[in-house]
Amino acid sequence: MTHVLELRGITKRFPGVLANDNISITLREGKILALLGENGAGKSTLMNVLYGLYQPDEGQILVRGKEVQIHGPNDAIAQGIGMVHQHFMLVPVMTVTENVMLGVEPTKHGVFLDQEKVAKRIREISDEYGLEVDPDAYVGDLPVGIQQRVEIIKVLYRHADILILDEPTAVLTPQEVEGLFKIIHTLINAGKSIIFITHKLKEVLAVADDISVLRLGKMVGSADPKQATTESLAALMVGREVALTVEKEAAKAGEAVLVVKDLFVRDEREHLTVQGVSFEVRESETLGIAGVQGNGQTELVYALTGLLQAEAGEIHLTGESIKQATPRRILERGVAHIPEDRQRHGLILSFPIYDNMMLCTYYKEPFAKGVSLQQKAIFENAERLTEQYDVRTPNIYVHAGTLSGGNQQKVIVAREFSRPIKLLIASQPTRGLDVGSIEYIHSQIVKKRDEGAGVLLVSSELDEILALSDRIAVMYKGQIMAILDAKDATKEQLGLLMAGIHPTAEIRN
Amino acid sequence: MSNLTVPAPSAEKKESKIGAIWRAISVPVLAVVTGLIVGAIVILVSGENPISAYGALFTGSFGSPAAYVEGFSIWFSSGQTGALVRAFYPLTESLVIATPYIFAGLAVAVGFRCGLFNIGAEGQFFIGALCSAFVGYSLRGLPMIVHLPLAILAGALGGALWGAIPGYLKAKFGAHEVVNTIMMNWIAFRLSDWLLKGPMKASGFRPVTPNIAASAELPRFFPDPIRFNLGFFLALLAAYLLYWFLFKTTLGFEIRSVGANPDAAKYAGMNIIRNFVLVMVISGALAGLAGAAQVLGVDHWVGQGFSAGYGFDAIALALLGHSHPAGVVLAALLFGFLRGGATNMQSIARIPIDIISIIQGMVIIFIAAPAIIRGLYRLRGAKDDDEAVLTRGWGK
Amino acid sequence: MKKFYLVMVALIVASMVLTACGGSAAAPSGGDTAASAFKVGQVTDLGGIDDKSFNATAYAGVERAVKDLGVQGKYLESTQQSDYGKNIQQLLGEKTDLIITVGFLLGVDTATAAKANPDTKFAIVDYSYPDCFGDAKEGQTCGSASEMPNVLGLTFATDQAGFLAGYAAAASTKTGKVATFGGINIPTVNIFMKGFQAGVKYYNAQKGANVEVLGWDTAKDDGSFTGNFDSLDDGRSFAESFVQEGADIVMPVAGPVGLGSAAYCKETGACMIVGVDTDWTVSASEYTDVILTSVMKKMDNAVYDAIKAAKDGSFKGGSYVGTLANGGVDIAAVKGASSDLNAELDAIRKGIIDGSIAAQ
Repeated sequence: MTHVLELRGITKRFPGVLANDNISITLREGKILALLGENGAGKSTLMNVLYGLYQPDEGQILVRGKEVQIHGPNDAIAQGIGMVHQHFMLVPVMTVTENVMLGVEPTKHGVFLDQEKVAKRIREISDEYGLEVDPDAYVGDLPVGIQQRVEIIKVLYRHADILILDEPTAVLTPQEVEGLFKIIHTLINAGKSIIFITHKLKEVLAVADDISVLRLGKMVGSADPKQATTESLAALMVGREVALTVEKEAAKAGEAVLVVKDLFVRDEREHLTVQGVSFEVRESETLGIAGVQGNGQTELVYALTGLLQAEAGEIHLTGESIKQATPRRILERGVAHIPEDRQRHGLILSFPIYDNMMLCTYYKEPFAKGVSLQQKAIFENAERLTEQYDVRTPNIYVHAGTLSGGNQQKVIVAREFSRPIKLLIASQPTRGLDVGSIEYIHSQIVKKRDEGAGVLLVSSELDEILALSDRIAVMYKGQIMAILDAKDATKEQLGLLMAGIHPTAEIRN
Repeated sequence: MSNLTVPAPSAEKKESKIGAIWRAISVPVLAVVTGLIVGAIVILVSGENPISAYGALFTGSFGSPAAYVEGFSIWFSSGQTGALVRAFYPLTESLVIATPYIFAGLAVAVGFRCGLFNIGAEGQFFIGALCSAFVGYSLRGLPMIVHLPLAILAGALGGALWGAIPGYLKAKFGAHEVVNTIMMNWIAFRLSDWLLKGPMKASGFRPVTPNIAASAELPRFFPDPIRFNLGFFLALLAAYLLYWFLFKTTLGFEIRSVGANPDAAKYAGMNIIRNFVLVMVISGALAGLAGAAQVLGVDHWVGQGFSAGYGFDAIALALLGHSHPAGVVLAALLFGFLRGGATNMQSIARIPIDIISIIQGMVIIFIAAPAIIRGLYRLRGAKDDDEAVLTRGWGK
Repeated sequence: MKKFYLVMVALIVASMVLTACGGSAAAPSGGDTAASAFKVGQVTDLGGIDDKSFNATAYAGVERAVKDLGVQGKYLESTQQSDYGKNIQQLLGEKTDLIITVGFLLGVDTATAAKANPDTKFAIVDYSYPDCFGDAKEGQTCGSASEMPNVLGLTFATDQAGFLAGYAAAASTKTGKVATFGGINIPTVNIFMKGFQAGVKYYNAQKGANVEVLGWDTAKDDGSFTGNFDSLDDGRSFAESFVQEGADIVMPVAGPVGLGSAAYCKETGACMIVGVDTDWTVSASEYTDVILTSVMKKMDNAVYDAIKAAKDGSFKGGSYVGTLANGGVDIAAVKGASSDLNAELDAIRKGIIDGSIAAQ
């Protein structure tokens, strides 16, 4: 079997950081190589070296056994290497065709753009690989999963036969992930070779032919997916044994902390996205809200935290109505909120860590006396919390934006957990995080529950819901389909409910 | 790049101070240098000598060494100060020009810090000047200790009111502040035209206000014709106070949070709307103070064409100064020296005064598109040092 | 990408260069003769040196003196109020012999500098001293309570030429209505309009006609004013409304604003224009077809004479008044004038000069 691509002894240094340390990987023709590693392990750096965005300090790149020099994306494309970035590089106001032809515009008579020709090619590619993309659709109107296919088409259009997929599943729903895997297999059957970058263990085992694991810039091992287990991979990745299942004791649910009755919420576009939701969360209990993304969970959380005004219904927090309350009022009543979009709501990326660590309590002692900020107390608080919550950062003075996703999330968790809380609202708390961070954040959530707080966990990851919840509510099209006891719930049952189908008998309590 | 974290916390302690400062100022400094180089090319192409032009610019803004020597020697030998005063005149005049620039630059900078684009500093400047002039000439017989603060306060309040209106419109109706501050500029211009022709006109035919009372003048420290006055120190004080307010108080923290990420600010329980209004009031007050300093310290009366675009130059100053009070002061001093030296350059080297506008324009272009400067000088890209957002989009 | 930026920078530089070339056409002129040469410096008001109005006209006088008299000449432009004093100081610092300031807004700064520097000579265009009256404070709201021996005010009896223009307009109107408007109601503006109205009245009295003047009434000391000296749109709309009221000749006394009126007349053919300050068939030659005549204020001559006097030592402070008699004001040739009309205008000119006809 030929090696279609080989990297030998790649080393890349940044000031103060050894991002890649003598890394070698090989990609077999027509196979899927999974590149596994936590955030910050050096996967993206390695791929950027391969794609010509960085020049390696040492090492060689061989394509089909021949050493090549890659000085930029154009060189990479010329070698048949194409990259689908984690963050799509698409222009939303342009059509699929226009996006695909950007940079390689074919012309008629030298000056006129030949859109039809491109559109025809897109249809051919789309049919060949089962991508089902309409060349005339505007990219901004397409769901994320389809946008990703546009990125794949861009690469195929440029005749790539080595595809690099950088964290392709991070932004997808479970259904879209299924679709992506089908496409990957079609591509392989058509003779393409794929490097699949991820930190999700189950995906690796599901699709990969070979596995290479990176940790802290070093190659720490290869694995055969037929023999590897999620546990063994996780241990390789993190460098120690990792508990993938959450240890927790049975709930000792107490008084109701949060009572929601017949809640209706309109989103910013005036759509009624929450339609008559009722539930309660009790002390020392975790209520999980399962559901495919976009079924009203986001707006439900916004309404509970004061970011959106509820249209109708009641919200009671420890007996007081908070339907009209401002975010600050709700916050001061003892609600902690881990927001769904940590970069939009949870952090100010351009602010240093120490400011983010007191973002919600900056006006209170000890951070402020009157209007005067108390820098010493602010620094001490940040030092203590980064230590306590194991935030990996050079110091507390760097901008939050320089942290990896997992560490950003830890900053939020540290901040929200550092004040006395009665209710924790955690929305997609581990999305996009690596195994180590997920383990840590899960354990913290359980700890808060055990300390007596009520927890409302919103997640589209069924595994997460099942691992943490005491009771599970499934949301579909703005309504709660059912609330189940976690002990009795099965994945199949929840999956059906998430798709809007009631299993044979209704189990409501 | 997001997953490029430093592996060991001990790897780097706080970035060295000099390194941090250089990172912050490298682009502005190089932008100024490049602006001057481009200016030199323009001078060269128009058939003049850039070296003599910049020589004249330099002596025009700082004074000529020969004049200083002569001034001091005459003073020592005969006790006459005339030549000495004349030697110091260019330097002091540059500082006089910088004074309203500092205030106006701070006005726009505080807006940027909150994500607001106050294009209305020009109008606020006008209104501030007119309010100060009114208090200055209409009240007579007050002691200076009362009259001067009153006149200054009037300027601040006038500007604040002019800033508060678009702030309120944004808060209440979501009307974009860019549009409304521009509109408020026109209202201010026409209002001042009318006031200068009618209610505020001095006796006589000229469309100007009466001179302010001596008790409302910002004290000058040197004999005529040196116009250097207390206003410069007030501007420095304002810069310090703004720094303290923005970076050392909870209110400033809110303003910066709203500017950097309004969603997160809302999440943290901050009142976005209130901050918008507050910042427009502060911004307007600072622009009004610019007008007050100009009328109380330099001109002593207001006529048509009173401002030469201070409010618009202020946008450049805020950009150049990174919306940081210290940066704004430095940028304002730079503009003051450029403008101050321009007269001499125009006179001695026969370079049209417009060349200064070209240099300023180039500097602004380079600041606004730092990639040009980074590309030219092969600087490494600063990843996320843009704490001050310029302005939010038109939506919302 | 780097290439792209370099190209962009090159483009920017190129465009700046072009701009600068356009701008530098107005660079100061003058001979680089010995340092002992007689130095003349002009300080403009906010209109700038190429305002096609009095800053430019005054500087034309300086340039002529540079050519004919061998003096050194330069100008400094003011872009804001506080530049007036600064520019005068700059010229003083260069030991300029004669400083020419332009416009009433420089009145106070000129007087202050003149008093502090009695050895330097000053001439101020369109202004004269003493200018203190009522409760005005010397050095603040006015320049000087008395004439200064080193300051010459250059003023113009434009009512005399306006009178001729009014007569010519009244003789040329077909609708029996003529109009005028100003920029701001100040003496240097409304003096044109006063003369214009007087000229029309004189025509009515002589010919038993009943030509009406719109836009100015000397008895009320008020009329139509745009409130600015820069809006061409105002010039257009003022002319349009006067035409709607029946006028067919308009005299705009508002600098470039009048060009808007001229453009309106040229497009519609509904009116004729009386130009002011300079001969508009020369300075705004694209509108020659619709220029009836122009009230000329020969500031260049006055400035030239002042420079000449200062150079040969005959300079005296006080006021110079440009009149029909000394050629300081006049009207340009009247378009389509009959020989009778020209003869009548000559007779009136003589009458004004000998005092038998009052210009207001």
